[in-house]
Amino acid sequence: MLELQRNVVFGQFVDTGSFIHRMDPRIKLAATFVMLVASFLIDSFLGFGLALLLVVLIQVSSRIPSGYVLRGSAFFLGFLLFILLFQVLFYPGEVPESSYLWRWGILSISTEGLRSAGILGLRVIFLYFITTMLMLTTSLVDLTNGLELIFSPLQRLGVPVNELVLVFVIAIKFVPIFIDEVERLARAQTARGVPFDEGGAFTRARRLGRLLVPIFISGFHRADLLSIAMHTRCYRGGRYRTKFRQMSARPSDWAILALVVVWMIMAWQA
Amino acid sequence: MTPDSDAPIIELRGFRYTYLEGTPRANEAVRDVSFSIRRGERVAIVGPTQSGKSTVVDSFAHLLRLKREQVFFEGDDVAAPGYDRSALRRKVGIVFERPDSQLVEDVVGADVAFGPTAAGLSAEETRQRVEESLNSLGLPYPEYRLRYVHALSGGQRRRVAIAGVLAMHTPLLVLDEPMAGLDPRGQRELLELLELLADDRDLTLVVCSASLDDASLLCDRVVVLDEGRVVMDGPLREVLRDADALAQLDITLPESVNGARELRKLFPDLPADLLTEEELEAELLKRLDVS
Repeated sequence: MLELQRNVVFGQFVDTGSFIHRMDPRIKLAATFVMLVASFLIDSFLGFGLALLLVVLIQVSSRIPSGYVLRGSAFFLGFLLFILLFQVLFYPGEVPESSYLWRWGILSISTEGLRSAGILGLRVIFLYFITTMLMLTTSLVDLTNGLELIFSPLQRLGVPVNELVLVFVIAIKFVPIFIDEVERLARAQTARGVPFDEGGAFTRARRLGRLLVPIFISGFHRADLLSIAMHTRCYRGGRYRTKFRQMSARPSDWAILALVVVWMIMAWQA
Repeated sequence: MTPDSDAPIIELRGFRYTYLEGTPRANEAVRDVSFSIRRGERVAIVGPTQSGKSTVVDSFAHLLRLKREQVFFEGDDVAAPGYDRSALRRKVGIVFERPDSQLVEDVVGADVAFGPTAAGLSAEETRQRVEESLNSLGLPYPEYRLRYVHALSGGQRRRVAIAGVLAMHTPLLVLDEPMAGLDPRGQRELLELLELLADDRDLTLVVCSASLDDASLLCDRVVVLDEGRVVMDGPLREVLRDADALAQLDITLPESVNGARELRKLFPDLPADLLTEEELEAELLKRLDVS
């Protein structure tokens, strides 16, 4: 229970200084987008095998320890498995009689069900893995700037790109802060005699409910402070903001993007 | 009170702690801390930010993933398997830096009653303790019993947090930055209360702070931490003699000590371990008479 952060990788940035970290964020975002599209096109186990291989390669070259990523994803994977179980048991599609392996009332296990759940599971894992890698290797500043630049043409159509990106980034940034907060509260309440580090999963979850009110109060307080801080520094969004650091994509960045595109097409056709 | 009353109430032996150990975001907070606190002592743990004070405090009630053979309460290793943590937390009262975090109920009376109730005290006994601790902190029981915790001021919330801990009658009371975020008047009032407490009860008191200014009024022993290590440990006056080293660590010193350090330009032999302005005055007068 204590040291919750140990189990949450989502939204964290871990700087190892690898070449993946130093890539132009726009290229990284574009590559991520290509892979997101690919994840909906790919429809075979072999294809997902190939696609996942690429993400594993990215992870290895980013020098972020696999153990850290896996442990941080354990909760998510468990949850996914639980959902997939239902997908198999209540598979709604047409199933020829011969492919039923087991049946009991409306519950059944069929090869079609297993296949569809397997593909769905791989798709979600691929999506999760690739977005996690993007966040682990890209600092929030880079992410914001990259997103703003990519979407800046929309600004001319009257879309408040800068503001939207800001909201998105603040939302992500609040995830680790909230986890910190929950941890601090849990620790203080444990000291008062609410044993957060004891009992089964269900009792623990119920105790977490106690933290909701103080978490919300401090969340609103924090948001309020942030907006005051931004006002006092004369923040204003929009396209009149200039950047101190200009981004430049090197040829190697483009080469990597090309590699990702080719790889994804291969996975799609596989 | 306990069979093993010779053992220090709390002892750290080569305590080291790394947050998120084994992950890329590991953060080494405490490198090597050893000290022991005997029953009835009043100890200040001072140090600049990031010196490991709060981690040390958290270790007292086993609020971390502690390794074995590092933290001992009344002679027992708190990280040993089968050690009763709930019992430990009933004996170690901690008032955290931000009082809001440790308030578990919405209403003042219920919050202060939380600990005694959880410890299995009878309703009558619990009510008595709630009344007694709220009154002793200057929050009259009949008036504050049904007030909403979140509607109180920061100073009042801190008092409720302290009352909640006092109601447990813990033999060890730990205050982490008790003066942080209080206005001068709130600080003075709280200090007076704590002084009363320190005299009144058969209590072991630990105060954590980045300032010796207020801790010096409550404590007679000082442990100085820096970068997760103990750099000084001794009686208040002895530690104050090294005032320059303390100032170097960004520790706020009592006014009289600061005055003495300035006046050393005129009187190089002026001692620095002057706890009150009266002592400073006496020392100065002595020197002026001679000249």
